[in-house]
This record gives sequence, structure tokens and C-alpha cells, in this order.
Amino acid sequence: MTLIITDKHMSRRTLLRGTSAAIALPMLDAMQSAVASPGNSSPVNRVAVVYVPNGIVMKSWTPVQTGPEFVFPRILKSLEPFRDSITVISGLNNTAGNKAKGGGHAKASGSFLSGMSPKFTAGADVRAGITFDQVAAVKWAPDTRVPSLQLGLEDSRMVGNCDSGSSCAYTNCISWKDAETPLGVDVNPRSVFERLFGKVDPGLSPETRARRALYRRSILDVTQESTRQLVRELGAADRRKMDEYLTSIREVEKRIKHAEQDDRVPTIDKPSGIPFEFPEYAKLMLDLLVVAFQSDLSRVSSIMFGREGSVRTYPEIGIADPHHPLTHHRGHPDFIERVTKINCLHAELFAYFLGRLKSTQDGAGTLLEQSAILYGSALSDGNSHSGNDLPLLMAGGHRGGQHLQVSEQPVTNLYVDLLNRVGIPTESFGDSTGQLDTGT
Amino acid sequence: MKRSQRTIAFMPKFRLHYSVIMVILVAATLCRADEHTVFRFVRKHCVRCHNDSKTSGDLDLRALQANGGRTFDESREAWERVIAKLKTGEMPPSDEPRPSAETVVGVTDWLEADFMRQDRMIQPQAGRVSARRLNRTEYSNTIRDLLGVDIRLSADFPPDQTAFGFDNVSDALRMSAVLTEKYLDAAERAVRTAMFGPEKLQPSVTHYPLPVRINLMRGTKSKPKDPFNYDLTGLSMVHAAHVAHYFPVEGEYSVRIVLNGHRPTQSEPAHPALFIDGVLAREFKVDATDLEGQIVETRVQVKSGERLLSATYLKMFHGLPPEYQGPEPSSRPPGPLLTGGDQLNQQDIEILRRLGTKIKTDMSVETRIDNRFESIDVGGPFAQQMPPSPANLSKLYACGHGTAEHTDECVRTILTNFAGRAFRRPATTQEIERFLGLVTLVQAEGDSLEEGIATALQAILVSPSFLFRIEHDHNLDDGKTCFPVTDYEFASRLSYFIWSSTPDCNLLQQAREGSLRHPDVLAGQVHRMLRDERSRALVENFAGQWLQFRNIDVIRPDVERFPEFEDSLRRSMKRETERFIEEIIREDHSVLEVLDADYTFLDERLARFYGLDGIEGPEFRRVDMSGTRRGGGVLSHASVLALTSYSTRTSPVVRGKWILENLLNAPPPTPPPSVPALDESKIGESVSLRQEMEQHRQNVACAACHSRMDPLGFGLENFNAIGAWRELDGTDPVDTSGLLPSGRSFRGHQELKQILMDDRNAFVRGLTEKLFIYALGRGLERYDRPTLAAITDALPAADYRFSKLVLGIVGSLPFQMRSISQQHTDASPTEGNEP
Repeated sequence: MTLIITDKHMSRRTLLRGTSAAIALPMLDAMQSAVASPGNSSPVNRVAVVYVPNGIVMKSWTPVQTGPEFVFPRILKSLEPFRDSITVISGLNNTAGNKAKGGGHAKASGSFLSGMSPKFTAGADVRAGITFDQVAAVKWAPDTRVPSLQLGLEDSRMVGNCDSGSSCAYTNCISWKDAETPLGVDVNPRSVFERLFGKVDPGLSPETRARRALYRRSILDVTQESTRQLVRELGAADRRKMDEYLTSIREVEKRIKHAEQDDRVPTIDKPSGIPFEFPEYAKLMLDLLVVAFQSDLSRVSSIMFGREGSVRTYPEIGIADPHHPLTHHRGHPDFIERVTKINCLHAELFAYFLGRLKSTQDGAGTLLEQSAILYGSALSDGNSHSGNDLPLLMAGGHRGGQHLQVSEQPVTNLYVDLLNRVGIPTESFGDSTGQLDTGT
Repeated sequence: MKRSQRTIAFMPKFRLHYSVIMVILVAATLCRADEHTVFRFVRKHCVRCHNDSKTSGDLDLRALQANGGRTFDESREAWERVIAKLKTGEMPPSDEPRPSAETVVGVTDWLEADFMRQDRMIQPQAGRVSARRLNRTEYSNTIRDLLGVDIRLSADFPPDQTAFGFDNVSDALRMSAVLTEKYLDAAERAVRTAMFGPEKLQPSVTHYPLPVRINLMRGTKSKPKDPFNYDLTGLSMVHAAHVAHYFPVEGEYSVRIVLNGHRPTQSEPAHPALFIDGVLAREFKVDATDLEGQIVETRVQVKSGERLLSATYLKMFHGLPPEYQGPEPSSRPPGPLLTGGDQLNQQDIEILRRLGTKIKTDMSVETRIDNRFESIDVGGPFAQQMPPSPANLSKLYACGHGTAEHTDECVRTILTNFAGRAFRRPATTQEIERFLGLVTLVQAEGDSLEEGIATALQAILVSPSFLFRIEHDHNLDDGKTCFPVTDYEFASRLSYFIWSSTPDCNLLQQAREGSLRHPDVLAGQVHRMLRDERSRALVENFAGQWLQFRNIDVIRPDVERFPEFEDSLRRSMKRETERFIEEIIREDHSVLEVLDADYTFLDERLARFYGLDGIEGPEFRRVDMSGTRRGGGVLSHASVLALTSYSTRTSPVVRGKWILENLLNAPPPTPPPSVPALDESKIGESVSLRQEMEQHRQNVACAACHSRMDPLGFGLENFNAIGAWRELDGTDPVDTSGLLPSGRSFRGHQELKQILMDDRNAFVRGLTEKLFIYALGRGLERYDRPTLAAITDALPAADYRFSKLVLGIVGSLPFQMRSISQQHTDASPTEGNEP
């Protein structure tokens, strides 16, 4: 079954919709009611997005069968042990990205989790939309030290090179706090550790530490006073910047207060830096994520295995070519094979993540059962920069175990469902057209 | 042309030479060209593809023409693109009927004249920049200059957002809670290091596994061409290993090197060695045939900063058994090593202990010379240098007293002095009172006066007046639209432009006295600042982003294809370009040397890589490149050539694009989606890279842009993907000929550079625009055009010297003044090169 996305292919799938009377009632709705029903104890209150760049070789991703008895294709094979927790979803389109202007990669990742078309610019005036993970982060912020963690595995320090006139903000991060605030990724495990557990200074006594915290709060007080005064004196654009600073200071104050009242001990050694080998690096970051979720320091996270348009090479699996050019394979089987190997490696690392979550108890169930995890890419066929029929799967929660082939609709419909699933009543999000329509 | 034919018919009795007639007629055509000529031309040659239903290149010229003569002003950018495409011959495409050269010239000349007319009518304005947050580099540099502390504080700050290609554009630099927290931490570390000495670091180990290149070390490839004349230090050989390690503080560190590989039986012992930044630090002696698992370790005293650690084998081909016919053959007796047979006797055990535990016990003789390194571990710091530097303390303690000798008045003096330097203007009494309040608080908690001062200093370093460069507005009621920034604000603009750091005492003094704006004083300051060491910031930050050679740090060439590329070569490549640009800036050369020069800067490592003899040692020195096949200018630098390649091969397209964007100020538009990649497996075997790329020319839609990009890249094909010279690409000889759409052809990179030199105005205009954006921290607006034109026009008369460019910017209206706020919205729409 060839999977080149052409208009012809579209109409085939539209035809499928007409003949899909065999598909059962939407499983996700049933899942939702399962969550609400009294039988289940632990709520689903962790959200994670694991992102892989440059699309996926769809012919080795999309299961042939739909429904519960599907065979795991090559790329998904490593996830088979978690069959009961996994729902593969086919048929969703990144409608907001498709109609945006700009580089194929930037407009895809820039709209992936928000359903808002990113503004075509390479300048300072980037604009997209709040992403669904941040909706959850805002809801749960009062209960967590770190409202959300944005992690990445690719150093985004390149200057000048993003995607055909589209800003790096669109390719290097997938979570947006609001329409104008992209949330940059942290690529250093040590820095992530310190965000979660603070700069634990072994040399100081508790009294000294307390005094230092007092001084820091006082410094922030003085700074707020100075900033407020400046706000009165300056022009409009400068005022906005000072306001931004004031908001940041208030957040830091809250965090210091939180940290003072909370003495959680880290259950992982402080990493010294970025590991040399990619799989080790990925696993370290995923371990940190598990720790953050387990100790409830954070409940929302997105992790990018690479920035969109990634040019990472994977010598560990024998691939010397950079990822992005490889995905423009023109149908050449050798290139497709190499890309498939990369896709498999990413899926294996995701399987590692699920394994860690599953083996971590939290309250009545495992951490995996309490998490709603999305894995996938904002592109399906990297060769044509297609944003249709995205490669996506949901993991975690209390149900799974099927391949759901839905009718063409915006991917934001899935996010509406997801937000409802984690207890945040949502009717619409981004460019959604309603609840996820899995129907007949 | 019908008109000319009629004219000729009317002039039969004038026996003028035909060419004279043509000249007259062409001139007549030009004089008579007007907007209608342009419209006719467009209707005839352009509108078929550039209309509302088929908007090729996103351009609907039919719609534009509907606006009449106003369109040249309203859609200026579009018409500029039209001129650019016509002049280079890219448009009309080659498979369309070609208008005559005279017609095209008539159209472009008229358009350019109209643009000049428009520009003359533009009132230049100063523009406004909102409060500019210090970016990472500026923050580190400022702390370094204020406190004398240089500890990579901003290394884990989130990356700065870029705009227009630079990371110091005001509107792109945002603030977040994460960053605020990091500012607090950084301020604490900086102040405490300055006042109380560097923080006591727990020793830690960093492990560096080394790439394995066995296949390259065995066989004939690794043997030197002349066994009597090779690199005795081993630094440039494939058997060596290099890592760049950051030493956080000065102190003692342990370096442990694990060996691997083999040395022939009967050889003299091997001499592995450790080099730090190219200087021999320690030599070892290892007497073994099988080196696997052999460990050598040493302790070294190292100053803080990033240093290159190199593990090498000294005199590797000396002391080999006589049959290798090398220098100083070994005098050890040959023969099997173990004598006891199945039962090892005492002598055998001694030998095993001495020569390595994995020695071949079947009594065969080792013949391989593939000694290498397995890993390097760096541990420390031990015996860290602890006390605060006296120089830093005397800078801080402006009252003149030492630690623990301060009076109460001292505190006010210290804080007033420091805040004045940190805020880049005198601090107000109200501000000082606030900071004094902190000192009182700390002392009330029982801590020392010094702790109080430290806390107050930290508060100064997170104050918005420190973190942002703030410029105040003035109320003007005499009808003026802009006003000069204050002398202090001007001093800040100057120092952050040229040094990416805070103004020094000299600048602040002149600001205080009010003399900074006098043209002579200003010129003197600019020259002083350019010659100062701190102008390195222009190299690293401006040029590093303009020419993108910061990217050298992240490229990863394929280890199999390019085994000689590793950290030491990477560092040398970057340093060559940095040093070259530094020379142009520091010694005030012509900026055109960027395009083509007869010199460069090399160390031994890079010289060897370039195939040049006679250059020894790790220091960079000026080398005359005239007469060499490589020549000078950035297009001959391995750094640029490597960062414009893929990890496995060169890309003429990427190189051509780089030249268009960065040297010719003519970035190509975005490529269309779903462009397939090259079939890499065929290249070098059945088909050359060049032949594959011919497909660009065959497809008319591709040719429009690629006919301009590809030839530029072909001109550089003598340089492989890591910038080394080559005559062959795989099995095909390299073809460096190129044919530009204008019809001009060339062969090789030297002729290519000549072509760029001929187009120097484009280069100079582009450079001016970029330096302007960098200096001001905002994008370009239409009202900047007269300013930019004036700066560029003054350069030829000054031999294109760099200082003239800087003086032009620094003396310009936007740099000296600020527009009042009612005139402009603070969100600036962008101009400059549309993609």
C-alpha cells in the first residue's frame, strides 16, 4: 500500500469514510466515561507530548488493520508490549499548518499543538497560538513547582538558518504559552535537574540557606519597586517590556515560596552535562521527566527528540547522513530504509519511556495509567512536507489497544478530547470543528 | 523596432555609420522611456506568468499595473525584485522570447531613476528602539568588565531569539521567569566570586570517549609518505585525539588517558604525550606491544577557560624494528617473547607483566602500527585557586579601603560607584537609598557588612536599569520630530555596538563632560575602540552571525569520509576566519578583503591541512597566500567551505545561496515544496554531482533561481566538504566552470572572486545594512534608505576602510537621535530582504 499523499489519495479516504459503517462507536468517548465512572480511582493528570521531527515513513507506521486486533508495523514494533495502553490514530490533519504561509517545516511544527496558523516572519513579531499542553499547565500550575517542562535534544543555537524565511521560534519549540510567547526548550539535563530541585548547595547550613532565601526575596522586592517606577516614566513599548519583567519576577517569587515549603529530595543523581551518545542523552532526559511526574514537581511536559528540520546524524545506528535531507528521498528505497531506521530508534526510546512510567507506582496505579501521552510528528510524509494523516499515537490513561482510523478532520479535535479526558472541560480549541469524530 | 526602421527610412541621404545610428536611436529610446514603456514591457514579457491566476514567484504584475504610476512607490519592493531579476538575466526565463538588451536596460534604468527620485523625497528619520535587554554575550562581557569575573555565567541561559539574522535585536529579546531566575543565580555567583573568591567546586570527572578509526590507521594510508620527515609531535596525525574541555576555575586537574592499538614487537617503547592548547604538557613512556587498556595519568595546573587537550604519540615512526627501514631503528633483539611453551616460566611472567597482559601467547610477532587512544578523562578541580583577585577587589572598593576596614560612608561610596557603572549613568539618591536598605537588612540578620554589600550588588545586577538599555523620551514642543539621545545613552550605544559591553571609564568620563558628540572626539573614540582588544566582539558577534561561521561549532562531518576532521582542526578553522576579520577591523583594512585577499592566518595544524609547508607551532600568524592555489578571502577559508556543506558531500546550492545571501545581498526566494533530494548513491560512480545538478537547469521553474545559485557553488568545487583542496570528486575530475545568467562565464574560485569584486556595490550595500541593524538593534525602514545610501556612498573615497563604515553609522541620524513616540508605532514593520 503506497502512501504518497496526493489528491487522489484524499478522495480514497473520503470514500473510506462512506464505507466505514463497520467501525464501532468511538472508543475515546467510552474511555472518557470510564474515567468519570466511580470504579476508577486515579485520575489522569499528567500530560506529555513526545515529538519527533521530519515526519515518519508512513508505510511502516500505519497499521493495516483498524480496531483492536491490529498488527504492529515495523516502526511501532517496539511498542507492542504496551498494546493495551496505546491507541494509534490515523486520519487527522494539521489544517492550521496546511493553510499557513512559510517554510514547510516551520508552519507544521509552529501550528502542531495549537491549531493556529503561524505568522510568516523571520523577525521578532512571531505569532501562533497557545498550545493545548499549556492549557493544562495553567490549570494545574497552583499545585506544581514547575508548571511545565519543555525539553529538547538538539541545541538550537544555530543563527541565521531556520526554514525558508520562517522564524526559528516555529521550528525549535512546540509549546506556546500564548500567541506571542514561544517556550524555548532546555537541552541540558543538569539545568533541567536544577529547575526541578533547585541549586542544592551541599555546603550551606539550613539557617544560611534560609537567610539567603530571605535576601533573594528582598532583592526581588527592591527590583519590583525600581521596575514599577520605570514603568511610569517610559513609552509604550518599553512599558510592555517592564511589565514582562514584573510578571517574571512575580513568578519567581512564587517559586521561591513553593520551594521553601517543600523539601523533596531528588531521586536521581545530578547529571553533569549532556551525554555523548544520543540514546543515552534521550534516556537521561526521559528519566528526568519520569522523576518530575513521579514527584509531582511538574505535570505537563513536551520533549522534542530533535528540532523540526533536524539535521542530526545517527552514527550509533550506522547513519552518517543528516536526517532532514534523507527524508527528501524521492522514493529511493535506500534512503527510505535509512529514515525508517531513525524512526524505529525514536520509537524504541519512546518505548523505554513507557516502560519507566509503567514500572513506577503512584497511588493506586502506575504512572502510565495517570498520564495522557501524545507521540508523533507535525508532518507525515517528510518528502512532500505533507501535514495530512499525521502519524500520531496516544499512550497511557486507562484504555488503549486499538488502531483508530478517523475521518479527515483537524488534529485539534483530538486535543479537545484529550483535554476533556484529563478533566479540563473543553468545547473547542484552536481550529477544532467539534469533538473527535471517529464515526460512521 | 518599428520606430527605428521608420526613422532609417526617413534618413536615406545621411550616410551615417549604422552603429552611430543605433546609438542615437537607443539614446532616443531611453530618453523617451517612461512608465508606459515599462508597462508595455511588462505586458509583453511578464504578465503571462505573473498575473492573478498564475502568480509565479508570488508576483502578480497585472494587478500592480492596474494602480498606474503610483505602483512604483506603493509596491516598491516588488519592483525592486523586478529590476534584480532583469539585470541578472534570470528573467524572462531562457525558454521565453528574449527582449533586446537595450529594451531591458531602458526599463531598469527608468525604474532605478524613479526609485532615486522617490528616495530623494523621503525624509530620513531617526526611528525608535525600545528598551534593549542585554543578550547572553553582552551580559557576560558586561559582568567581565564590571567585576573582572569571567566564568561563563550565561552558558545556561535560554538562547536569545534572533531577528534579521542577529541576536541583539531589541524587539526579539524577551524576558521570562526562567531567565529571571537565571539572572538572580548569575548575579549571586558573579558577586560572590568577585568579593569572596571563586566558589568551591566539587571535583567531578568528564569522560570523553574517542572516535575509533581503525581502518584508517592500518595499512599504507596511515604511514607517512617520507618516514624520515613527518610530524614528530603527532598532533596532525590520524592516531591522535583531541577534545575541547572547559575548565571552570584555575586549579589542578587530573588527565587520564586510556590507550589502545598495537606497536610492533621489538620496537622501542611508545611515547604517548599530552598537549594543552598545542603545547606539550607531559610525556609518558609505555613499553608494550598490545596497548589496549594501558593507562597514563598526570596532574596539570590549568587556568580557567576552554582548552584543547590533545593526546598524541611522539615520534611514532622512530624506534621501529629494522625491517621497517625507518629512523632510529630499534636495537632490541628480535625473537619470540615467551619461552616456556604451555607452561609459563618466571621469565615469561615478567615479560607479560612488562609488555601488556593481552600479549599474543602463540608466539607470533606483532607487526601492526595502529596505536590510538580509547578515551580521555578530565577530573578536578583539585587545589583550586581560592582567594578573590586583588585587582577585582580594588575595582569594587571605590572607597579605597580593604576588606573588613570599611566605614559606613564606604558603603554609600561603593554602591554609588558601582550603580553608576552598572546603570551606565549616575544613580539617583532614591535608587541608592533602596540598595542601602538591603545592607541594613542583612546586617540586622547578623551577617557581616561585606555580606550586606554583596546583597546590594546583586540587587543592582538584577535591576531593570542594568539588564535593559533604557533610553528616556523628552517632551518636545517646538515642532521637532526627533531629539538627540543623552550623552550617557550615546556612550552605551557606542560601546555595545563596538564591544558588546558596557562603556569604560574613558567613555563615561567624556559623557559626563559632554564632549563625546564632538566629531573629532567621536572619531578619536571610534578609532580607539576599534583598536582595543574588546572589538573582538565585532568579530565573534557581528561577523560570526553575518557570515554564520558560529555554525562551525555544530557541524558533524562524516567520520568515515573525513577522518582528519576533529576538534583541533575545527578550532583552527574557526580561528583563521576570526583572526582574519579581526585584522580587517583592528588594522582598518578595506572591507573588500573579505571577498578576496592575498593573505590569511594559519597555525601549523591548518597549514598542514592546506598543504603548506614551513609553518610550525600552534600560534596563528599572517601568511602570504599570493601565488598559492588557494588564495585568500573568506571563500577560501575551510570554515566557510565546511559549514556550507553537508556531512557527506559538498553542496554547490548551499554555497551559492550563502554567497547570494551574505556577500551579494540578494537572498534567493524560498524553494517550492516537495523538492526531491539527489540520488546520493549514484554520485561519484555513474554520475557526477555536477551532472545531477544539471536537472536544475532543465526544469524552467527551477532554473529561475538555480541558474544564479549553482554556478557560484560550482566555482568552489575544488574544495571538498571540509574545505580541503581536491582535483577529483570520487572518480570524476572536478569541473569548476560556471555560466551566470548574465552570460558571463568563469572557471575556478579565483575568477569567481573577481566577479564578486566587480559587483562590490552589492556587497558594500549588504554589509552596511547588516551592520546598521546590528548597531541599532532594529530592522530597516523605508526612511532609512537615504541614511544608508549616504554611508555607502562615502566608502569608495575612503578605500572602503572599515572605520569609515563605522563612523558613518555612528554619525548618522538614527544612531545619534531618537524619534518622538507619536510619530511611530513601536512595532516596526520589517524591510530589508524579503525572502
